[in-house]
Formats: sequence, structure tokens, C-alpha cells
Amino acid sequence: MELKTLMSRAKRGLREELRLYLVAISSLSVAFLCVGGALLAVSNLSSIAERWGQSGRMTVFLRDGAQDGDVAQLRMVLESLPEVRDVEALSSAEARALFLAQSEVTADLAALPPEVFPASLEVTLRGGTDPARVEAIAGRVAQLRAVDDVETYRGFFDRLESLLAAGRGLAGMLALLVGLCVLAVIGNTIRLAVARRRDEIEVLKLCGATDSFVRGPFVVEGTFQGFASAVLAVLVLLLGFALLRGPLDQSISALTGTKAAFLEPWMLMALVLGGALIGAAGSALSLRRYLTV
Amino acid sequence: MTRGAPGKVVRPFAFFRAGAQSDRANRPILVFEDVYKYFKKDQPTLRGINLVVERGEFCFVTGPSGAGKSTLLQLIYRKHTVDAGRILFAGRDIARLKSSSVPFLRRNLGIVFQDFKVVKHWTVFENVAIALEILDMPRRLVRARVAEALERVGLAGRGGDRTEGLSGGEQQRVAVARAIVTEPALILADEPTGNLDPHLAIDILTLFEEIHETGTTVLFATHDHSLMGKRDHRIIALDEGRVLEARTGLRSWPGAMDVGARTETSGLRVVASG
Repeated sequence: MELKTLMSRAKRGLREELRLYLVAISSLSVAFLCVGGALLAVSNLSSIAERWGQSGRMTVFLRDGAQDGDVAQLRMVLESLPEVRDVEALSSAEARALFLAQSEVTADLAALPPEVFPASLEVTLRGGTDPARVEAIAGRVAQLRAVDDVETYRGFFDRLESLLAAGRGLAGMLALLVGLCVLAVIGNTIRLAVARRRDEIEVLKLCGATDSFVRGPFVVEGTFQGFASAVLAVLVLLLGFALLRGPLDQSISALTGTKAAFLEPWMLMALVLGGALIGAAGSALSLRRYLTV
Repeated sequence: MTRGAPGKVVRPFAFFRAGAQSDRANRPILVFEDVYKYFKKDQPTLRGINLVVERGEFCFVTGPSGAGKSTLLQLIYRKHTVDAGRILFAGRDIARLKSSSVPFLRRNLGIVFQDFKVVKHWTVFENVAIALEILDMPRRLVRARVAEALERVGLAGRGGDRTEGLSGGEQQRVAVARAIVTEPALILADEPTGNLDPHLAIDILTLFEEIHETGTTVLFATHDHSLMGKRDHRIIALDEGRVLEARTGLRSWPGAMDVGARTETSGLRVVASG
């Protein structure tokens, strides 16, 4: 079949069943919106997990009676490291005061002397520092004379990482579930559209049309439907994101230290092309039962 | 699809067409050899059908409801396949055609139905032109051939009309135009007058006869005796899946012949069963 004939037949189908196609496109858009929303949630969760997993703090506890010169040298060494953003010195008294301010402690604990709280250097690492690198720095620093112990909070971050991994898994499963529902919605929507035109298919078959001749325009129409629906879903998602970004950013950055981000360009491309592909495949599969005339 | 000279469409199974090859031209266009068709086990819809239809014949296929008229026609355009026996169309066994070849068989047939089977939301032109678009015919030629077909069925100048706005008789004319526009070797009409009033039924029958006069073979299924009584065409009568009579004209039909006899009438094989 000539491309011109194929396109003109597809255009005729779209024109004559415009209302049906608008209904189908709106239904499919809702389905793609669900997929896009799930993708958005998964990608943002991933970036939060990545940021948290790679953000680092380190507390270098100093020995009692550590020489000021040694401490100053240690601080200089730490500050010279590219992974270190900031180093703050905390004396025993300051550590006690901070502990009492951040904790609701009983009178007994409040009576503890400052010596119980060792002096420390609070090291803030740059974002994206590899946890293995943090451990290596901690190992080297721990060997220095003025240092009693080094805490990297690795256990906390490991637990956080596993929690986020579970969250990502859950979001992924949700996305998969949504994806399956979307496939069912798309399949049924296209099947209904094709069923409405079974008379046309029957006439074509009785006139001697090959399966590919019958299928061609329907596949083109299905591709267009899927593509248009996915584009519409992306636009709605973008609009919703733009409207909610302000309030979201405030609450999310306060909670997680990250900002909400829209889908990556490759994800948008995959959504739109996937929509077109699903539309084409849905049409081709829905036609099968009507081709046996 | 191979294209020949302008105005000529050469199909892959060109030999199906009447006169396409001289050595095949004298063969009967349709031969049924001991054909059985079962839709239910031990209850054949067609049982042992033997039938020969010569090129250029006009045959009525008649019989009561459920006699197997539609099934007989459906086997020819391969909606179904035979369970036993064989059907030869221009010497080719239809049952042995691959599924991928069935469209090419149908391109050599014109099929008209009781319920018209026109696409209501298409225009008259589109409904007729689709048969030629399937053949990948150039647009210019499609326009000319469709105009000619519409003129033959009395719908000249109506190409732009929406089909759903036409009367039943006019819709059937559209279906006939679609069936003849490809100049098929054989036209199968399955109760084409069943939904029409008697006056329109005669009009449609006359239309088929005019098409037949150009050399096309026509199988016209009907149970309307008033139609058959007005014409002197060969009648193939079916009952309970068997061919009861095959003769020319209705003058001695039914019951004038001894049931169980085997004779030759007007050069046609008459098979009667008890």
C-alpha cells in the first residue's frame, strides 16, 4: 500500500471518529499521567536517596589533654582535604551545652561535668563524597596523636540507605502496577475504538484486503493516539509540577535538603515514544480478532 | 501488485479471471466435488454437494432457511473451508489456498450481502473506491472506474453523498457497484434482495442480469420464488445441505421431477437425493 493512501486512510479514520478519538486520547492521557507521576516520584526519591547516601558528617573526638598545636595542625590538615567543606571546633563545655540544648535530659544528666563530653572537631563533608572515601579519611585521621576516636555515622547512613532503597522499591512496584493498569486501559480503549469499526474491517477483508492493508491505518491511528496522549500527559504533569513546585520545594528541602526536580529529558522522550509504541502495538493486537473474516 | 496497461488490473491469480488464459478459459468457473461442511458433529450443513457452474452462467441458489445457501457461498469466498471434498475455482482448489492467498481469491470475486455491508459513515465514492484502493490502483483511474460503476448501478453523480443517508435500495446499489468495479470473474449475491421491497428487489435482480450480460458469472442466492418465477435462469435448489435440483427455469419446479432420479437437463447435472 502506498504511503499516501495509508496516511489518507488514517486521516479519514481520525476525522470520522474524532469524538471517539478525543475520548480515547483523554482516557489514555490520564493513564500516562499516572505513569508520569509515578516516574516523577521514583526519580525524586532516587535523587533524595543519592544525596542522603552521599552527604557526610564526621566527628573527630580529641584526646583529653590534646595539645593545641596538634589540634590546630589536625584542623589544617582536614581543611586542606578537597572533600571537606567545613571544620568546626567544639570544646567540652560547648559540646555539653549543645547536648543539653538539643536533648530533653533529666536533672541527673544535666549535672554531668563538662569532662564527660570530649572536645571534638565537627567536619562537614562536601555533597557527593563517596562513603568509602569518608571511611578512608576517618581511618587516616584516627591514627593521629591528638585523635581519640572518629565517628562517620556510617551505621546511620546505612540504615537510611536501606530505608530509602525500600522506599524506591515500593515506588518502583507502584509504578509497575500503574504501568500494568495503564496497559489494560490502553488495550481496552483501543479495542473499543477498533470494535466500533469492525464493519469497516469486514468490508475491507471481503473486498480482498490483506491483513497489512487493514492493519496499516489502524496502527498509524493508534500510534498517533498514544503519542498525543503521552504528550498531553507530559504537558499536564509539567503544568502541575510548575504550580506545586514552590510549596513543594519549601517542605521538601526542609525535610530532605533537596529540591524537587522534573523528569529528565530522556525519561520524557521514553514516555512519549513509549506511548506511541503502546498505541501502535495496542491497535495491531486489538485488530487480530477482527481479521479472521 | 503488478500493474499492466492503464485501465487493466493484472492480479496475482490472473487465471481466475474469465478468459485470462486460453487453455483455462473453457474450464467451468466453479466445481463442487462431493463437498461436506460440518458446523456440528454428525450434522452436516452441506452433505455431498456436486455442482458445476460454467463461465458466464446466471444461477439462482435457492432453498428454505438453513438449507445451506449462505454456507455454499461462504465456502467459495473462503469464509469457511470444506471439511470433505473440494471446490475448484477456475481449476484451483480453494481449500488448499494459504490464508495469505485468500485476499487474492476475493479480489476475483464480487460479493453482495443482504445487509449491504457498506460503511455507513463513508461516502458512496469511498465505499466503491475501496475495492480499487486495495488493488493499489492510481487515484485517477479509481475516479474513472468508480464513476463508471456508479453509472451502471444508477447512482451517477451521487459519489459525494454519505451512504447512511441513502435508502435501502440505494445502499444495495452501492454494494453492487463495489462488487462490479473490479470487474470480477464471479459475483456472489447472498440474498441481496432480502431487505428490499418487491419492486426494488426486481430492480436489483435486473441490475445483476445487466452485469451478467457483460459476461460475468453470477450466483444469486434467494428464497424468493416470485423473483425466480419471473426469470428463466438455472436454479440450484438446496435442502438440508443437499442439492435437490439444478435446472433451467422454475416452470417445472418443485416436485415435477421424480425424487431419487439422476438425469441431465439442459446440459446440467441434476442430482436428487431422498
